[in-house]
Amino acid sequence: MAPGYAPLSFTPPEPGTYGLPAMGVAGDGQVLDSQGRATNLHDYLGTKPTVLSFIFTTCDDVNGCPLATYVMRSVQDALQADPDTADKARLVSFSFDPVFDTPDVIDAYGSQFRTDNFDWQFLTTSGPESLDPILSAYGQWVIRDYDDNGDYTGTMSHILRVFLIDKNRNIRNIYSTSFLHADTVANDVRSLLMEQ
Amino acid sequence: MIWKMLISSVVAALLLVQPTSADETCMSPYMAKIVGQEDYVYIWTLGLEGVGNGEDKLVTVDVNPDSKTYGTVIHSLSMGGRNEAHHSGLTDDRRFLWASGLDTNKIFIFDVHTDPAAPSLHRTIDDFVSKTGGVVGPHTSYALPGRMLITGLSNNRDHGGRTGMAEYTNEGDFITSVWMPTDDNLQGAVKSGNFADGYGYDARALPRRNALVTSSFTGWNNYMMNLGKMMGDAEAMKRFGNTVVIWDLHARTPKKILDVPGAPLEIRCAWGSQSDYCFTTTALTSKVWLIYEDDAGEWQAKAVADIGDASKIPLPVDISISADDNHLWVNTWNDGKVRLYDISNPHAPVQVMEEQIGEQVNMVSQSWDGERVYFTSSLLANWDKTTASEGNDLQYFKLYNWDGETLTPEFNLDFIELGLGAPHQMRFGAHALYGGATAQSPSGLASPTAH
Repeated sequence: MAPGYAPLSFTPPEPGTYGLPAMGVAGDGQVLDSQGRATNLHDYLGTKPTVLSFIFTTCDDVNGCPLATYVMRSVQDALQADPDTADKARLVSFSFDPVFDTPDVIDAYGSQFRTDNFDWQFLTTSGPESLDPILSAYGQWVIRDYDDNGDYTGTMSHILRVFLIDKNRNIRNIYSTSFLHADTVANDVRSLLMEQ
Repeated sequence: MIWKMLISSVVAALLLVQPTSADETCMSPYMAKIVGQEDYVYIWTLGLEGVGNGEDKLVTVDVNPDSKTYGTVIHSLSMGGRNEAHHSGLTDDRRFLWASGLDTNKIFIFDVHTDPAAPSLHRTIDDFVSKTGGVVGPHTSYALPGRMLITGLSNNRDHGGRTGMAEYTNEGDFITSVWMPTDDNLQGAVKSGNFADGYGYDARALPRRNALVTSSFTGWNNYMMNLGKMMGDAEAMKRFGNTVVIWDLHARTPKKILDVPGAPLEIRCAWGSQSDYCFTTTALTSKVWLIYEDDAGEWQAKAVADIGDASKIPLPVDISISADDNHLWVNTWNDGKVRLYDISNPHAPVQVMEEQIGEQVNMVSQSWDGERVYFTSSLLANWDKTTASEGNDLQYFKLYNWDGETLTPEFNLDFIELGLGAPHQMRFGAHALYGGATAQSPSGLASPTAH
């Protein structure tokens, strides 16, 4: 099991005591929100620190997308518990399976995790023509699996990546499975808030 | 059907996305790795005047025994000149191979995913020194999530050993740099012994302990000097690193400076989920050192084994830890030997095997299953021997099979006879990493438990 499921095994550096140098501008693209409205990804980035994860709802690898969502929920809980941060950060779970993850599906998926008062958005796309440029912009490559007839099986492999994006839409950190833990992610969010 | 099943296992592996790898056992724990048969070895090769076109090259050797071109060079990409080609490393998604030049400070980023059998040059970074504020000698390319950590060996002020590290995005855009802690600027680190030299060389991470471990070699003035001249220069011989630094991995700040005298070079950390230790070897004092977290949570360093007869300067170079953390391969450049240590008790390694590989053996890379061990010669352009003491075995890429007791030669490629140059760092490639498969034998991939 990934470290993100267990208590953090070290004392993390205090928020604001370390740098999170910018890693470039977060990509944009056309997306659908959980109500099916066409919009842009950038509409959900900027103005406040955002944690963005790429997932698909049928992913069954415990150390893949479920880990990302587990950690996001823990980050939500941690930030919401503090009045100073409760409404000052955003989470975005973005599906890279437009075939199965329709707006209705991601809305139902999201309802299992988000609380009423926290800014946690669940997004998808209308198809590969919208999705692929976004994946490319984030270096989030995916291998889609096809059956013997060349039909997409609905499964795919990918490198788990979760992005920390600041209010100016700059990427400030990237987490993968070994690195992804709610305590460090929440501290990174707090660090960005202390810059403001 | 078998193909489909194997690919399915590959998919599962990549979804884990967990880390690891080792040459396959020696790379970043953030990386997917090849646990089955590798298809290719990419060899970053130093150009030699009078050998072929004399240019540095990325050489691709087919190492899949089911392939018709097994054991041969199937691709060679020349760099247009010589850069003091040395180390290389893969990005966390294994789509790009970074390879650097210690003299020109160029970093070449190769695309190894579009056609794993024929890497192409994707981008060249030629402003490393200015971007980093004066770091010289890009050495280790180490994958962190979505980015590469580049260690330096020197600086542009005096070309000595004081240096720093830099971070780049996987695409090759500069992010930041940090200097190694020194006596006059400890940067908050605890100097635990006699040294705070600010030198650099290798880097490895233990994410579970939030630790980054760095070692220390020497500066441009020394690594570009003729070896015989340097050995006879008492002042030059004083200018080698004597430290290992423990960093806060998340904050990228130095925490503790440990004395490890005698130029600690490669660092290899244990894979076990409760194994909070790494090994390094010292080039000048010929010892295996254990870098470990003690029961009180304090990082410590201690010499735990001798490597040959230190008085004869065997010069330990590359090391490779086995996937089960039970064995450590140690190459010694000067006597051309590999030694295998039982490190099941990391505090008391025991040498269990010694074998002559060839003159100036340098790098060693083993497969994750431990059954194949690859070796290359060549250390540095001005340190390498130019004539063989016997035969023609100066610059080579060799594969041995390992059955747990005996190394059995499988093939040997003479890089001079082939007009290629002096081979150095090896990295593995496989079609299955990118959703493909070789015709007969797809590679198995996996991502083991994180640190």
